[in-house]
Amino acid sequence: MTTNYIRYFIFMMLIFVACTKDEYEGPSLQNLYGEFSLLSPFSISNLNPDFSNNEVVKFHCEFNKSVDWKITIRGLQTGSVKEITGFSNRIDSGLVSWNGNTSEVPFFSEETCALELSFLTEIDTLRDTLTILGKKVYEGIMVADFENGIPQDALVFHQFSMNMTFETASDDPLNGNSYFKMGGRMGWNEWFLGSIDFPLDMSAVNSSADEFYINLGVLSGINGEVASDQFINILISESNHPFNDDLTNNASDVFQDTMEVYKYQIRPVDWIGWNMISISYDQFEVKSSGGNNIRQPNNITAIKLQCQSCPGVSANCPENMSVDVRTDVDFLILTEGTDVLNQ
Amino acid sequence: MNNYFLKIFLLSFSIFQLALSSISQQNEKIWFDGLGRSYFSRDNILSNEDTISPNSMSSGYNLLDLNVHVNPIPNIEVFGQVRVQNQFGGFFGSGTEIDVRQLTARGTLKNKVRFSVGDIYLKQNKYTLHNYDEDLNLYGSDLYNSYKSIIDYENFYQDNRWRLQGLQVDFSYKFDRFIRTLEVDLFTTRPRGSSQLNSALNTFQSDMLLSGGTIYSQISKSISAELNYTILNELPNSGTQLSSVKNPVYQFGLIHQYSAKKFSINSKIQTGLSEKSWSHKVGYDSISHNRLGMFFEYKSEISKLDSSFNLSMGYRYVDPNFRSSAAQSRRIDMAESNLNSIYTIYSNDAVVRPISIFDIISDQNLFNQNISPILMNFNPIFSNALPYGDATPNRVGLFLNGFYKHKKKYFNINFNTSFFSEVIGQGTSRKRTFLTFSQLTKVNLNELFNQRKEFNFSLGYRNQITNREGDSIERINLNSTHIDFKIEKELLEKVYFNFSTKRIKAIGNEYLVSRDDFDEILTFQQVNYNRIDYLHALGIKYQFKRDVYIDVQYNLWGSEFNIANFNDFDFQRLLFIFSIKL
Repeated sequence: MTTNYIRYFIFMMLIFVACTKDEYEGPSLQNLYGEFSLLSPFSISNLNPDFSNNEVVKFHCEFNKSVDWKITIRGLQTGSVKEITGFSNRIDSGLVSWNGNTSEVPFFSEETCALELSFLTEIDTLRDTLTILGKKVYEGIMVADFENGIPQDALVFHQFSMNMTFETASDDPLNGNSYFKMGGRMGWNEWFLGSIDFPLDMSAVNSSADEFYINLGVLSGINGEVASDQFINILISESNHPFNDDLTNNASDVFQDTMEVYKYQIRPVDWIGWNMISISYDQFEVKSSGGNNIRQPNNITAIKLQCQSCPGVSANCPENMSVDVRTDVDFLILTEGTDVLNQ
Repeated sequence: MNNYFLKIFLLSFSIFQLALSSISQQNEKIWFDGLGRSYFSRDNILSNEDTISPNSMSSGYNLLDLNVHVNPIPNIEVFGQVRVQNQFGGFFGSGTEIDVRQLTARGTLKNKVRFSVGDIYLKQNKYTLHNYDEDLNLYGSDLYNSYKSIIDYENFYQDNRWRLQGLQVDFSYKFDRFIRTLEVDLFTTRPRGSSQLNSALNTFQSDMLLSGGTIYSQISKSISAELNYTILNELPNSGTQLSSVKNPVYQFGLIHQYSAKKFSINSKIQTGLSEKSWSHKVGYDSISHNRLGMFFEYKSEISKLDSSFNLSMGYRYVDPNFRSSAAQSRRIDMAESNLNSIYTIYSNDAVVRPISIFDIISDQNLFNQNISPILMNFNPIFSNALPYGDATPNRVGLFLNGFYKHKKKYFNINFNTSFFSEVIGQGTSRKRTFLTFSQLTKVNLNELFNQRKEFNFSLGYRNQITNREGDSIERINLNSTHIDFKIEKELLEKVYFNFSTKRIKAIGNEYLVSRDDFDEILTFQQVNYNRIDYLHALGIKYQFKRDVYIDVQYNLWGSEFNIANFNDFDFQRLLFIFSIKL
């Protein structure tokens, strides 16, 4: 009996020793407390990329422990910035690449860029440069880039007050050479300064509302100041009513209260410089329920950009008596599947 | 709430009156026992560096626990315990609390099925339901017996049982073929009731239930078998919490007994499985935070039939994923949020004072009475090898225990040694090893010198060495030494003088584990120790009888950290306890 016990005991011991797993619990101590070092240099696959030909730049680097790393690409001419981040002990060129897009506008142009690989918890920073030979072409339905002035079918309306600027300009475009200025200063108690309306034909679009993006570059700030509570209303119409039925009013006729219209407010517009705003169509609220209240991108017939601001008159926003409203726009593009900066 | 207590008190008083009137008629229907205690302590700070904390503070109370036992019919007993407690410093009863501490009804149905309802004390196997002793408990030594008895009484610790509220039923059968006996014990309890967490947000904590059973069978004269099962689960619909835990544990054991003329050999082989999972209302899929674990233990012991000698040895494997909340809940949670009662904040930096050996020995409020669904924190200098008892997960190794009692009671020795290793590493593939040796020797000098009055001394020692090889990051070397000494002399009839000292010295480094709400390791905190904790006690005890005594003590205690930016502390205490078991 005793011999049997001993045999069984030894057998069980062998089973459990053999079962011991060669792993560990919790985060790696090396990651938490180990001294950081590079195992391979920071390599860049293409130092002269032509993004207009769909070329990409791949990155590779290896470290002795997993860290929060960040690759920053900064256009030396445009100031455009692209950031790629991750947490790993390896920057895998099969996974980490750049196709010429940007994290924050303006867009990259044909220019020299400074590259920087930095780490959240380490002081080390690796640097290099590359030169863009061809800039990225963004895919989407371009509504207006204002390169050839205001689109032919577009309608512009504005109040006739002080410094109204509802026209194209070339002094500070987001992309290309021109943009559309929307601003001025109201001399009476009125929020609405003006608008620009574009007719659209979206019948070829197949995306649902949550995958259909309205992307718009917005420039704000004059001499480092912004008007209080200035904002842009984006109205989208799915009405089949003729776009410009009434020729007397300088505005489209498809945004009436009885029609199927959806609205999104970029409010406030309180930054200095350009900012790219991307909104999926499902975030639009019902402005006037003249239709089925279902946002259907392929039924869109028109889009309106309204410039509004808190009036300085009548003591609503007296500080606006001394500053012009500025909600200039450029690069109005509709994209499917993803917003423009994530292309 | 006050009205509620008033009602309870009036009810108790009515029962008391009723009892007095019925005692004379039917003496066996109602009877009383209980406990009374007067407690007073005065603490002084000795360190000159602390000019912010008060130099001294005192506290104390009188309490009376009145136990009422009522037998309305034969085989049924109703038990209630009412506590009246008065804090010193209260004025005309303003500091007086009246509380119902325990309520239980128990009995036997048809002389076959025993049951208990209300407060019940439960213990099963060491891997399924067990309330392990607190840290620093060396063989239940009586070095600080007055403190220990108060802590155990106030926290309802009885023989490693958890006090729970619920229903327990047990019954047994005898057979004349195949097996000899079959004993069944079943219970269901509610360790935690649904309660409001935040009135503004209207959030509620869920009910937590612990249920289980034991089946034990004497198969033959020498072989018996046991099956234990527990399940801890939260009821998601009874609260607004987004996650609910479920933790079933199964254990099966076979016991072989062999008895000879002078000794017996018992061997036990047992194994078990556990599953711990969280169901989520939002955010996670069904397999998130799900872990399966197992354990295996073989133990064999040889004992002399006169109980003078015992030696046991065995092998144990507990999987890293083995989780048994009812067996792994600790008596003391070493989390920073668990605050000491005395000098909670200390030094001119006004920092929280870490738990020291004095607090573990004396502070009843540090102790936990609840089942914790996740592994609680521990301090490696007090217990690193088996912080969750035998059920500590991620351990594999051998152990050897024993005791010897001298025939003429000159001395007795207890000892234990064990060597464990982690099954898998923490933060690295390298594994910690734990080597522990402990012993307690008590020498009865009065027996040696043939004197009638008590005169004895005890010496306890425990050394635990934790090691992990590897590079400078992985390497661990922690050496913790714990020494206990007590000498006791009966000066006059029933008047005992005693001196005791307890000291822990820990040198080395370790990594403390930080876990999230789902028991997953979040991170490790690197710690270095060069710490000495000490407690010296000098006292006189007058023992009217076994459970009635007056104890007057002087305690000198403190901690030396020997680490920059961490202040040492030294305190002294004068203690008076008058305890009467009715």
